[in-house]
Amino acid sequence: MSAPPAIAVSGLVKEYGGRRVIDGLDLQVRTGEVLAFLGRNGAGKTTTTEILEGYRTRDAGEVTVLGEDPARAGARWRARLGIVLQESQPVPTLTVREILRLYAAYFPNPRPVDEVIHLVGLDEKAGERAARLSGGQLRRLDVGVALIGAPDLLFLDEPTTGFDADARRQFWDVIQGLRSTGTTIFLTTHYMDEAQALADRVAILREGRVAALGTPSELQASLGGVEIRFELPAGVARADLPALSVAPRVDGPHVTVSTEHATADLAVLCAWADGRGIDLPSLEVGRPTLEDVFLAIAGDAAPGGTR
Amino acid sequence: MLAAQVRADFTAFRRAPSALFFTVGLPVIFLVLFESIFGEQMVPGAAGQVSLATLQVPGFMVMGVVSASFVSLCITMVNRREAGVFKRVRGTPAPAWVLIIGQVVTTLVIGVLMVVVMLIIGRYAYDVRVDMALVPWLVLGVLVGAIAFSCLGMALAAFVPSMESAAPIANLIVLPLYFISGVFVPVSELPSWLATFASWLPIRPFVEMLSYPYEPGAAVPWAALGVVAAWGVVGLVVASRFFRWTPRRD
Repeated sequence: MSAPPAIAVSGLVKEYGGRRVIDGLDLQVRTGEVLAFLGRNGAGKTTTTEILEGYRTRDAGEVTVLGEDPARAGARWRARLGIVLQESQPVPTLTVREILRLYAAYFPNPRPVDEVIHLVGLDEKAGERAARLSGGQLRRLDVGVALIGAPDLLFLDEPTTGFDADARRQFWDVIQGLRSTGTTIFLTTHYMDEAQALADRVAILREGRVAALGTPSELQASLGGVEIRFELPAGVARADLPALSVAPRVDGPHVTVSTEHATADLAVLCAWADGRGIDLPSLEVGRPTLEDVFLAIAGDAAPGGTR
Repeated sequence: MLAAQVRADFTAFRRAPSALFFTVGLPVIFLVLFESIFGEQMVPGAAGQVSLATLQVPGFMVMGVVSASFVSLCITMVNRREAGVFKRVRGTPAPAWVLIIGQVVTTLVIGVLMVVVMLIIGRYAYDVRVDMALVPWLVLGVLVGAIAFSCLGMALAAFVPSMESAAPIANLIVLPLYFISGVFVPVSELPSWLATFASWLPIRPFVEMLSYPYEPGAAVPWAALGVVAAWGVVGLVVASRFFRWTPRRD
């Protein structure tokens, strides 16, 4: 028998001022997996996450998190959760160790403070006040706070926003380490490479519903076709490109052609470039990325903020 | 858990230079300034002529307690709420009362320290003495006052929209009250309607409670105790109705 799901949601509805932000959302998160929860701003990511965490009430639907209804669950249930909110700052005048010691006191069976400090890679900053930490270090402290109670389920809401590349890699290592200890992780993120690197499965949210769910590989295969990617050579405008079987997507210098006729399109492109005596920098041909899947499924950006 | 909370809150207070200055430094500086300028004067007290210091030592005690329990507590509660600290803690098994009692106890300890500092300065610098038989009144007055003003501070915090506005709003409320409550100016200098008005607001009766041990001839300040306690209850009711744990932006 397989373990019961860590999170089970069916028919979840949430309205704000008559507008349905979450509109019949269904989702199951398996115990021990990392689920990446993706969606455009305004698609309902944070609202859903905060309903699962017990911060917000719902208007309809069934929600079970670690076997209990978050709207009614108590302290014993919260002791099994770790939560990293999208925005929160620690008390700036306390040190890393003092903050973790305080949070440890809130939990019945906390992890040792020094173990957590080591786990999130803040050994050298343990005695530093929070006000003196960098953005990446603050976020790792945030994760440390979420881990202090040795949670079975960890919620991460856009944990690496504002990180530089190094900080993001280090953070990923922490998450992968946790995953190997069997912690279930519900990860909300804007970054497709993050979902690709960490997630067992990916759920893409659109208009308050899960529009696609699967492993990154399954989702990429589902889109079909092939992608031709290159950079616009210097002095060449978008309008100069030859006609292809589909219109290319241009994002700054990056050009992507998602095509069902890769050979023909490639031949046209090469002949065009050759005729002009130019090169196509960074030319590559491959299957669609998770980002392509996201763009195809998540739809146009909804107006409004992140809630 | 409560011990850990109080320890952390106390450490945070100790490391905030502005809170430390306004709560501990300012009342002492004011007392010393006022006494060096007007110190020789005798003024009418509750039971005959007394030295100005006899009125002002308890007055600045009140300023210290109110600064800790009301102003500083309100600012801290708003800051923690808006920074998302409270929201985070509400996601842990910690019960809400730990956060509230933690702040109340922390500011109470600071208020009591201020009272002790004022007692010592008053006794040795200005020769104003507490009637030892009335020390229980001093203890009772500080406790009731600090708890009542904590409740009022929580209530105010519920209506303060942002971190930036917490300190100006809280100070704007207490500064005029200090003037009409006998902290800066003896109430005998005020028009009687203003003195009567002030006696129904929370700071004047708090001053009366702490003045009583310095003026044993005066009437027992039961009415003052009642007014301060009533304000505390009002604060508690308003706070429990309107207090929120999550930032305004949520």
